[in-house]
Amino acid sequence: MKVLIVDDSGTMRIIQKRCLNKLGINDIDEGEDGVKGMVQFRANQYDVIFTDWNMPNMDGLEFLKEIRKTNTQVPVIMITTEAEKARVILAVQAGVSDYLVKPFTPDALKEKLEKWVGCHV
Amino acid sequence: MNTAIREKAETTTSLVNPIISSVIRTFESMLNCSAKRISLEVKSGHSPKYPLSAIVGLTGKMSGTIIFSVSNEAALEILSRLVFEQAEEITSEVCDAVGEIANMIAGSAKADLAHLNLILSIPNMVLGENHEVLYPPDVSTPMCIHFDSEIGPFTIEFGFRD
Repeated sequence: MKVLIVDDSGTMRIIQKRCLNKLGINDIDEGEDGVKGMVQFRANQYDVIFTDWNMPNMDGLEFLKEIRKTNTQVPVIMITTEAEKARVILAVQAGVSDYLVKPFTPDALKEKLEKWVGCHV
Repeated sequence: MNTAIREKAETTTSLVNPIISSVIRTFESMLNCSAKRISLEVKSGHSPKYPLSAIVGLTGKMSGTIIFSVSNEAALEILSRLVFEQAEEITSEVCDAVGEIANMIAGSAKADLAHLNLILSIPNMVLGENHEVLYPPDVSTPMCIHFDSEIGPFTIEFGFRD
């Protein structure tokens, strides 16, 4: 099980990593924005990708579109403050697999992570 | 009052309840901390109340600014509660944690103003006793909400312009 976390906030990456570690997942790469996320994506095979939306250089929506251009079916989960219906529709149209709105409870994050990585653990 | 000025004032006022709800929700979910609104006032002067300011810009049909102002002690506690790490002083990690909470507060509040198609900026941090944050001159009546919480008091300031 190999996971990529893309978020410009080191705090958010730590929170997600801790949660994954509790699920027994330790093979985790990180990126600070979509550009660095794409570098990691091209160099590795991931089972799940978690991404923020609002990031410098390349945001999460563009990152998602770049990933889908490669025709991969890898699950991409957005963890973001973008909660408006119009924004969620944009993400769905771009091929997002699931969506978690910040702020979230630890249980909500755990539930999403278990849903997408649990079956592989 | 002309239409444009009234619209700006209404937008600023209409943010009060979404911000209060968003603060309470964000503090409960992310910090396991209850927050309570103490008072609401029209902002005067240029210095936020506490030495750390996380500033989030909003652009769209209207543009504005939200400032999350916290004490050093509250900032250290935010890091501790978010990632279970202790810091003795204000570090980049502490600023990142405070900025992320500001981002969530602004993001959650703007969801209640979907008709304005607002987009958030990346949070910027300003540090230092008595630092000043100047709103653009055309901002209509910046406001300040005072909160108290288990991690100490803090404020949210905000204002909108064309």
